[in-house]
Amino acid sequence: MESQYSHCPATGMQAFAYAIRRIRPTAGNQSPAQSVLVKILTIDIQLDDMHMADALVSPAVAGVAGAVAVGLLAVAAKKVKSDMSDNMVPLMGVMGAFIFAAQMINFTIPGTGSSGHIVGGILLGAVLGPWAAFLTLTSVLVVQCLIFADGGLMALGCNIINMAALSTLVAYPLIYKPIAGHGDRSWRITAGAVTASVISLELGALCVTAETEMSGVTALPWKEFLTLMCSIHLFIGLGEGLATAAVLYFVKSYKPDLLAANRAAGTASANSSYKKAAWIFMGTAMLLGLLFTWIASSYPDGLEWSIASIIGDADLPTVKGAVQDALGGVQASTSVLPDYGSTWSGVIGCAIVVTMVWILAGLLVRRKTAVKKL
Amino acid sequence: MTAIERALYELNEIDGYAAGQSFMHSLDPRSKALVTTLYIIAVLSFRLDSLSGILFMWIFPILFSALGGISYNRVFLKSLYVLPLILFIGMFNPVMNREPMLQAGSITVSRGWVEFISIVLRGLLAVQASLILVMTTGFQKICYGLERIGMPAIFTTQLLMVYRYLSVLLQEAASMDNARRSRGYGKRSYSPRLWGIFIGQLLIRTVARAERIHRAMLSRGFDGTVALRTRLHWTMTDTLFLIISTALFTATRLTDFSYLFNMIISRQ
Repeated sequence: MESQYSHCPATGMQAFAYAIRRIRPTAGNQSPAQSVLVKILTIDIQLDDMHMADALVSPAVAGVAGAVAVGLLAVAAKKVKSDMSDNMVPLMGVMGAFIFAAQMINFTIPGTGSSGHIVGGILLGAVLGPWAAFLTLTSVLVVQCLIFADGGLMALGCNIINMAALSTLVAYPLIYKPIAGHGDRSWRITAGAVTASVISLELGALCVTAETEMSGVTALPWKEFLTLMCSIHLFIGLGEGLATAAVLYFVKSYKPDLLAANRAAGTASANSSYKKAAWIFMGTAMLLGLLFTWIASSYPDGLEWSIASIIGDADLPTVKGAVQDALGGVQASTSVLPDYGSTWSGVIGCAIVVTMVWILAGLLVRRKTAVKKL
Repeated sequence: MTAIERALYELNEIDGYAAGQSFMHSLDPRSKALVTTLYIIAVLSFRLDSLSGILFMWIFPILFSALGGISYNRVFLKSLYVLPLILFIGMFNPVMNREPMLQAGSITVSRGWVEFISIVLRGLLAVQASLILVMTTGFQKICYGLERIGMPAIFTTQLLMVYRYLSVLLQEAASMDNARRSRGYGKRSYSPRLWGIFIGQLLIRTVARAERIHRAMLSRGFDGTVALRTRLHWTMTDTLFLIISTALFTATRLTDFSYLFNMIISRQ
């Protein structure tokens, strides 16, 4: 094969230096708060986002996640086989290799001085459609696991769920597609890509936290871990979203027929009942997430604690004040039921949630039909 | 060396190892995959604070790489890439669990540190096991094995296609990246906008390549399914390998090493 690379000296020191370089934060003239952010961002992004390692999962969690992943694979294989043209075989194969190569090229994250790369779920979805994108991204994860020791063999099921399923089967069809529509406007592409990327990475962070905590490996409590992971992945998601949008915008201007939304415009309504159910499920999940955030924001100690423990310095007056003020402000402005103690407020709260789900579901269904008419 | 060049090098290296000949190479991929899975399950099933058992499990990767004619040092160094994430998650344990656990003279080791070492070891051993599997089997044969145990053909074909075109696409990206860097006036990284254009170009080239491949496949009689020529033979050696390995892992898992070594020391 590549004879030019077969003579590269790969000494032990080189490999070690490479491993170290991956955790070295980018230095620069930054304020303390900024350097903490850079530290967190660089460590995590250079870790290939969130490939779970075997060391972080217990056999039980790995087994359950593996079973779910195999089930999803079986469904995906069936779906793709039933409605694919035969040029999809080489296209999916080469696109997998493309995503792998694209992940190797970093971009600068504006304002932080650190760099990251994409996972590519939304991008693959936009070119191949959700199920084919899922198969493709999963195959990339398998290659990364087996050849490049990125993420473990046992944790593969977890990684397939966290990185492939959530972005291609949840965020792409349920968030990117409705927002971006047929991809004819660049602001819609950007909004769709950023929202979908942020949500898929946040969901992934949630899953990583859940899997690690359920495995009983980390001593870090749920709340702190989740706060840490979610705040890191918010930034990664923004980066991923902007980068994805940049690629999609380029493709839209030079070769618009490549995007799946354009190709499959006529056949999108085939499984609308499934999609409707998924939308409603998704809306509920998001509402619950919002509620959770609202409740969690009453205890902003988590973030401070995790940042302090990372840099080994509990004294972060500016960050502390700012975070608390901001969260306090958000809480004050969103608190409908400040006294949450009595039974009544519980009943009213539930009623509000149900109503919101109802309205959201109605809006989504109407939206769907509007898209269909187009 | 850029990340892409390193990836190409590693791809080439794995292929080189997989082409070797040894006892491990002659085994059926399915038996090796099964033993690898059992090994990782055994390693992960140890309690977080039982360090001695996990330490003992370290002998198996060394043993298996010797049986496969691979330098264990290389396997060890390759497994170090997994460290950053493990350190990131594991470093919270020493912070959180401070109660003393091991006492050696005047040095006290807290529970958190024992757990930390245990997490790091688990990570390294699990990765080493899967590395040895790939280095003695090769990616293609693993795919054949996967298909034989019932993985959908469309997925194994996809895996083989990705693997086949990985080096092609990596080389294409590497040459584009080289071109950009040689004209980049020392700029190492891309701005998101530039990155979008770069990756967009690569995407368009990729799809054009897929079209060419599709035509080539059609002209060779491709009818929508890729037939794999999988000739795998499960022999008596595979069964024996599986039984002996399982017995060894189970024995290690059940042995109380601190008790055992205490007994040995007290008898002398």
